[in-house]
Amino acid sequence: METAFELAPAIVLLPLAAFVVALLVGEYMPKKGALAGIAATAGSLLLSLYVVAAVATGGEHQETYFTWAAGDAFSETGESAIEFTFGILLDPLSALMLVIVSLIAFLVHVFSLGYMNDEGETGLRRYYAELGLFTFSMLAFVVADNLLMAFMFFELVGLCSYLLIGFWFRTESAPSAAKKAFLVTRFGDYFFLLGVVAIGATFGTLAFQGDNSFVAAASDAIEGGEPLFGFEPRTWVTITGLLVLGGVIGKSAQFPLHTWLPDAMEGPTTVSALIHAATMVAAGVYLVARMFGYYALSPTALAIIALVGGFTALFAATMGVVKDDIKQVLAYSTISQYGYMMLGLGVGGYVAGVFHLMNHAFFKALLFLGAGAVIVLMHHEQNMWKMGGLKDKAPVTYYTFLAGALALAGIVPFSGFWSKDEILFDAILVGLNEPIFLVAYAMGLLAVFFTGFYTFRMVFLTFHGEPRSEAARDPHPVGWNIKFPLLTLGVLALVAGVANLAPVYKLTGLEITYLEFWLDGQYGGYADLTYTAYGDTVPFGTEYIAGSETITLLIAAGLGLGLAVAGAIFAMVLYNVPEPEPHTENLGSARTVLRSNYYQDEYQVWIAENLSLPLARTADRFDQSVIDGVVNGVSSVSLFGSSRMKRLQTGVVTNYAALMIVGFIALLLVLGVLGGWFV
Amino acid sequence: MSDAFVLPEWAALAPALVLATTALLLFVYDSISPKSTNRAAIASIAAAGALVSLATAVWFILAGTGAEGVDAGYDLWFVVDEPGAGEGAISVFGGQLIVDQMALFFMVVVSVVTALVAISSYDYMAGHAYQAEYYSLLLLAATGMSTMAAANSLVTIFIALELASLPSYALVAILKDNRGSVEAGLKYFLIGALSSAIFVYGISLVYGATGHLQLESIAETIEAGGADAYGGILGLGILMLIGGFAFKTASVPFHFWAPEAYEGAPAPIAAFLSSASKAAGFVILFRVFTTAFPLEVTTDVIGLEWTHAFIILAIVTMTVGNFAAATQQNVKRMLAYSSVGHAGYAMIGLAGLTVDGGELVLGAAMMHLLVYGFMNTGAFLFVALAEYWGVGRTFEDYRGLASRAPIACAAVAVFMFSLAGIPPFGGFWSKYFLFLGSIEAAATNSAMLVVAAALVINSALSLYYYSRLVKAVWIDDPVTGFDRDFGGTPTGLYTAIVFAAIMTVVLLPGFGPVADVAIDAASAILV
Repeated sequence: METAFELAPAIVLLPLAAFVVALLVGEYMPKKGALAGIAATAGSLLLSLYVVAAVATGGEHQETYFTWAAGDAFSETGESAIEFTFGILLDPLSALMLVIVSLIAFLVHVFSLGYMNDEGETGLRRYYAELGLFTFSMLAFVVADNLLMAFMFFELVGLCSYLLIGFWFRTESAPSAAKKAFLVTRFGDYFFLLGVVAIGATFGTLAFQGDNSFVAAASDAIEGGEPLFGFEPRTWVTITGLLVLGGVIGKSAQFPLHTWLPDAMEGPTTVSALIHAATMVAAGVYLVARMFGYYALSPTALAIIALVGGFTALFAATMGVVKDDIKQVLAYSTISQYGYMMLGLGVGGYVAGVFHLMNHAFFKALLFLGAGAVIVLMHHEQNMWKMGGLKDKAPVTYYTFLAGALALAGIVPFSGFWSKDEILFDAILVGLNEPIFLVAYAMGLLAVFFTGFYTFRMVFLTFHGEPRSEAARDPHPVGWNIKFPLLTLGVLALVAGVANLAPVYKLTGLEITYLEFWLDGQYGGYADLTYTAYGDTVPFGTEYIAGSETITLLIAAGLGLGLAVAGAIFAMVLYNVPEPEPHTENLGSARTVLRSNYYQDEYQVWIAENLSLPLARTADRFDQSVIDGVVNGVSSVSLFGSSRMKRLQTGVVTNYAALMIVGFIALLLVLGVLGGWFV
Repeated sequence: MSDAFVLPEWAALAPALVLATTALLLFVYDSISPKSTNRAAIASIAAAGALVSLATAVWFILAGTGAEGVDAGYDLWFVVDEPGAGEGAISVFGGQLIVDQMALFFMVVVSVVTALVAISSYDYMAGHAYQAEYYSLLLLAATGMSTMAAANSLVTIFIALELASLPSYALVAILKDNRGSVEAGLKYFLIGALSSAIFVYGISLVYGATGHLQLESIAETIEAGGADAYGGILGLGILMLIGGFAFKTASVPFHFWAPEAYEGAPAPIAAFLSSASKAAGFVILFRVFTTAFPLEVTTDVIGLEWTHAFIILAIVTMTVGNFAAATQQNVKRMLAYSSVGHAGYAMIGLAGLTVDGGELVLGAAMMHLLVYGFMNTGAFLFVALAEYWGVGRTFEDYRGLASRAPIACAAVAVFMFSLAGIPPFGGFWSKYFLFLGSIEAAATNSAMLVVAAALVINSALSLYYYSRLVKAVWIDDPVTGFDRDFGGTPTGLYTAIVFAAIMTVVLLPGFGPVADVAIDAASAILV
């Protein structure tokens, strides 16, 4: 057990080594550094599993490796010193996430052999180096034991996704998309940084776990009731929590900072899989889960999380309905699904949220890699209207993609059903008690229908019907390195739900909610980071329909499943025909709105052009005239003074002697008068 | 503390004695073979002497010689043959000389600079006559400076000062065929003579007021009220002493000799004068004012705190030095004025003293002089290198030198940024401590805020002219027809420059111990 924890830093460092290797000698290696990346991520995966085993046998681990700054600074709560450290925190949550991230990263590396190497891409050394750095950043973020370290790697994750989204930097759109992703998420991270500073200044600690954590300090402060910076402690916790949430909303592409994510499809599809399933976007939700104890202290923050999540789930799902590009559909589905996770966490469903995070990682990686396979099959065509009929020509791709689609739509017994159902179940329980959450629940429920619809619209347009282009009639074959990741993930998309069959438990009493036990620290873990501990803090009561848990459960599950199936059937009726018609055109002006993504980009550009730009211009004018004027003035005064000073030195030694004496006498007079020597 | 290794008391002066012996050794060598052209032998003797002196001084510091009751934990304990020795300053010849941590600290500075200058002179002075004379004068001047560090009475101070000065005049004028060198030597001598006159007059006034020349006795007399009737005379005497020290440290208004002497002198001698000589001037200034005229007793007698004089001098010196340096076209002259500016920074060490404190600011000034010993010497040696190659004198002529000599130019970038006080280098820390010390002292004396502000403003201005040199060598296009060969790579000069650059850089991580030693030394003399 100890060995596993001692080896844990290697999980993080192996991909970093792969980054260095690929960067330095990638050009000379077979497969241009892919092998280094595969070996490193495979190593990380094995070690992560070892850590999971260690945690499962009752272990937990926190260790500080490096204190890079320590200082005396009185915090608002009276701590007299603060330390900034690098350390790791291994508990059920981070161990689980380590496995997810390293597994997806490993499969993406393998898939890249088929998607990048076999397709003759250039710049592979750079690609694999950046992939390694990306994996490293995310793994380090996952194991971070304090908020500042998390922030630093959060930023590094953002940088890596910028690099990878802009991988094809010679095209016009990729660099622009990369910049957009970077700037939009940076806007959110700005608030995150403020939050980190605020939490540090308030509690004098940034640790996630233990009696010295900011969570414990915040809890004490709320109990003590002393105002913090002039606010009620709970209000202040809400404010700081929401500041951190800014970073989450940016990274996890929640409304209104979701606009970068669809554009990020400009990156290689493998990168999209990594970003959407396990790294960049997942980082946001993971952060909420990591510091869930803090949010649990603030009902307001939780309500905002739930409402933002529910709204985003619905909002993005409606936009996904009208997209023609296969990757665009998946992009909006990602936004929508992360909305669900936020909804789950916002209603206090810590297990449900994390469960969906896990399932989503599997099926979304599967769908993106499947889409990548389709793109390879279609000779790099992404428009679904040019596809069709691929079902018989690429059965492995079809069936695995179908498994992913069923999971995404939430159809029993695929994994997505179980987690989504649990989120909605948690939401309705809280919603019945606190009506505001019913709004979030209703939006989440409605989104289920749209999800079923757009998912199967995508499946039918891509794989069913008659081929609608030359490429679709004669697809490019795909190799084992594409099929292997698809099959692995296909199996996971089907069975991962077994991890937490909560409805079955509630109906039959069979104790098979393993994930809940896991996250509740029943196998191992810190007592303050468990589901029970969070549950005690979350201030929401629950209520059942007709007072019966079973009835509520059946109604909730039935509604969710029914809407998903209805959406799927609706899509089948419309699109599962030999020559499908673009039915969305019947939506009229609504379609225009949806195709334009509710004019989100437009209004953000408007804000940038009409508010930020004039402000920036004014600041620039101030800088150019006043600041520069002062600086230039100082410099010309200095140079003038300098030329005067130089003239003191005449070169005539008698002048020097005279000046010396004059200077000396001047000094003598000043001091003599001050000291009264002449009296 | 074992008595396995017992040395007589006067052996504590070893660093200075080694220098003197080496100078005499060179005389002997020269008288045995006056026509010798074996320059390597002469230069090696000089360098070896300086290095031995350095080694003894460093050893003494580590062994805790002269330290205040500190058990340094070294086996090589330096023991003088009396009980309880090794605790406190060792005073020699009836208190005329004293060896304590500060003396050793400055002996280190002097011998390091002397070694660097001796090594680099091997190349620079190639083809000149009077080799043995040159080196023995150098070592005699160094002996004087080393003795200045230990001098503890106004008489020994004056003798040591003259011992340092007289060889310096000759060294500046040693290029006898060069009009600039001779003229500079003469001006330096004339100003020096005038300053010495003022200084001696100051000594006589202090003697008149107190009846003593030994520093502790002066302080005792003042404390006992023996000088109460002569407050004005004592004040005037103190001011005249300041005049003499200001000459040695090239502070305004006694700085006029510096630009001329540095420009006319051989560049290694300019390095020697601007680093070692200045440091020696400061150590004596520190000692006289902390030992003979402690603030708490002197203030009542002379009617004001003498720190005011240093506040004025520090501000004026910094400002004149930096402003005059800003628009110089000649590199060596720019460095000369910058050296005046740095004297102003070091003077903060005395300006910031208060009745019950000031270890930090005084220690910071000592640190600054140590770092300055490396970075300023290095900068002048770079000029020596350029003169050796016949590059020219102005910034214009230095353009694009980096393509010819990247290592030396990297070193010069280090020196310039360190002189300006940019963080990665040693110069940043000492300036930072000076600033911190000024702010601390401002709590009791608000005039120190002005000093702190002047320090910041002048540092900012200095970055301008220091970076001009870096820009010239690294960024500007080479002067046309620059491809000509300069005639080899002078090993001695390069060694000295690179060593100075390395020391400037490693003083940053090594600053902890240096700061400790300096602050210990400062608090020891402030008791």
